[in-house]
Amino acid sequence: MTIEVQGVRRAFGDVLAVDSISLTANPGEVTALIGPNGSGKTTLLLMLATLLVPDQGAIRIDGLDPVTQPTEVRARIGWMPDGFGTWDALTVREVLLTVAAAYRIAPDRARTRTDALLATVHLEDLADRRARVLSRGQKQRLGLARALINDPSVLLLDEPASGLDPRSRIELRDVLRGLAAQGKTVLVSSHILTELQEVADRAVIVARGRSLETQRLDDEHALTATASWRIDSLDLEGLTAWLADHHVPARRVGGGLTEVEVAGEENAARLLADLVRDGIRVTGYARSQGALESAYLAATEDRR
Amino acid sequence: MSWHGIRTVAALELRQRVRTSKWPVVLGIWVAVIALVAFLAYYATNDEQLRSGEAMYDVVVFFVLGLAMLIVPSLTATSVNGDREHGVLATLQTTLLTHWDIVLGKLVAAWALSMAFLVSALPFMAWAFFEGGVSFGRILLSLLVLVLVLAVICTVGLMFSTLTARPIASAVLTYLAMGALVFGTTIGFALSAFLVTDKEQQTVFGIPDNWYDTHQPPNVDPSDPTLTQEQIDQLMKAGQPTRADCTTFTRTTDVAHTERIWWMLPLNPFVVVADAAPSKPRPPQRNEVSTSAGFTPMRWISGGARLARNGPGGVSDECWVDEASSSSNQDPIEKALGTAPVWPYGLAFLLLAGTGAATVAGRRLRTPVRRLPNGTRIA
Ligand SMILES: Nc1ncnc2c1ncn2[C@@H]1O[C@H](COP(=O)(O)OP(=O)(O)OP(=O)(O)O)[C@@H](O)[C@H]1O
Ligand SMILES: [Mg+2]
Repeated sequence: MTIEVQGVRRAFGDVLAVDSISLTANPGEVTALIGPNGSGKTTLLLMLATLLVPDQGAIRIDGLDPVTQPTEVRARIGWMPDGFGTWDALTVREVLLTVAAAYRIAPDRARTRTDALLATVHLEDLADRRARVLSRGQKQRLGLARALINDPSVLLLDEPASGLDPRSRIELRDVLRGLAAQGKTVLVSSHILTELQEVADRAVIVARGRSLETQRLDDEHALTATASWRIDSLDLEGLTAWLADHHVPARRVGGGLTEVEVAGEENAARLLADLVRDGIRVTGYARSQGALESAYLAATEDRR
Repeated sequence: MSWHGIRTVAALELRQRVRTSKWPVVLGIWVAVIALVAFLAYYATNDEQLRSGEAMYDVVVFFVLGLAMLIVPSLTATSVNGDREHGVLATLQTTLLTHWDIVLGKLVAAWALSMAFLVSALPFMAWAFFEGGVSFGRILLSLLVLVLVLAVICTVGLMFSTLTARPIASAVLTYLAMGALVFGTTIGFALSAFLVTDKEQQTVFGIPDNWYDTHQPPNVDPSDPTLTQEQIDQLMKAGQPTRADCTTFTRTTDVAHTERIWWMLPLNPFVVVADAAPSKPRPPQRNEVSTSAGFTPMRWISGGARLARNGPGGVSDECWVDEASSSSNQDPIEKALGTAPVWPYGLAFLLLAGTGAATVAGRRLRTPVRRLPNGTRIA
């Protein structure tokens, strides 16, 4: 159930929303789609969700073309839009039952599936309320349940975590990992990089409608990638002098902190040991940002 | 496209309509207004002298059609773009429902609701039907025509809601289309009547213009005491033409060739409904000369439309001689009512327009989309 996107392009009139995006998302993995506002993530997901025809390029979902075989593709995908609307007059349960009927799921199976999903997204006690009264985060969870109702093997989630409270985010993370563990392909766009760092296996960075790079996020990578570390010390002068003496690239950041660039965790540990040995009184030593954040900032640097 | 899909969409639409509480209120007001009109029409025409159930029939049936044409467009005119604005259209489009399921499901729901309006008006219409002396077959026919006209209006509204991004725009366009059908066709017919009017030679059967020159009425003084009443009558008659005096001659007059433009009239839903079942002429009553007296707009519309379709006949019968007026010489509208009806053309046009509108709506809902209208997002 691989998603393959090759050089896809889509314009709206004279606005080029997606210039050239290529990516591959594999089954059993969570693939993150990250990029600045207006970089074309939603547009790409709409093309994957069989709603828009790409102007150029090719999309294959499980080997199927969403343009010529939309029905087959729709049977396999679950799509969660960024702004999820619901039929205001219906109750939460009825929303899910209606979507189940639209997927031609038999009524009794639809009922058990709806109950199970309501439990998954913790909306059981709101099941018979009107969807209109749901809060933003609750609507978002209903949207996730909606996307899962046909037991899709490919999930396309557009900013699923926006509006969720911290506990729901952690639960969303578990849901996504669980889906990937079942062998499903999960493509998720989000702006919350620390969150993605925890859940994604790889990240595709897009900017201005182009896919810039694909970053692996597994442990091996974290061990060797260059990262920024923040050092807090009681004698700032001594620390600065020491770093200058040892030619460690460093800069002052706010709150009396110093930031250094170190390649790999091995080197970071050695630097801390050296500082302590030479009598620099270190009170804090931590990564300033995740690997994903660094990669994202580096890739989209030209915006500054 | 499947029955299951259409039913799913229709059930969703109906459930939403029924839950939003304003529909029962609208239905209640509708029934109240129709009841009021029916009773008023009954009392207004329930005059000993002018007893005319057909006037009530005409008023009630036209009122139901007119009010339905105001209410029914609002069932569909914002259906698709309203859903898109609420972000619920794409939710359906990414399921196994096809674009035809969505279009037909929405149509079935809107049509079922407009049937609810029609059914709730039925008791008053039934009353009017019987007052109007319409036969049972004609009642069924006029109901069928009403049902089909309402279905076409639903479809036109749905089409406009797929064509514009903003619900306001599609609602305005739908009402404009209704206005074009009702008023546009009538005004268009009236204006283009001038274009088809020419000075032409016309064959006339009647009293020649020079008859009166050669038949000067004798100079009689009715108060002349030397004449008896009988003699006065005889002398007066001598100055009046009789049927034997009518001859065939030609004359140059303005002739309106309405048979070239009549097709505009049956495009009007009111003409279709009127022509499908005009009320029966009132049986002639004591001390009455003409049968077409009384307020019977549906008969006039029906007869007028047929008259326009027939156009100027070969020989214009203008032998209006008083003694024969009620038997051999009919009112032209009455005569036209005996000719073939025009409503099948109008209904065929409306059904064609409805099919076309449904096709356009279906195409506009097909996904994936290649071209999006400017300034809209699909989701
Ligand atoms: N239907 C449309 N018509 C015109 N322009 C559009 C349309 N849809 C998107 N765009 C433009 O295309 C670009 C990409 O939009 P898109 O919604 O894909 O961005 P995004 O990456 O999802 O942004 P965000 O992170 O804010 O959600 C934007 O500049 C947007 O203005
Ligand atoms: Mg977006």
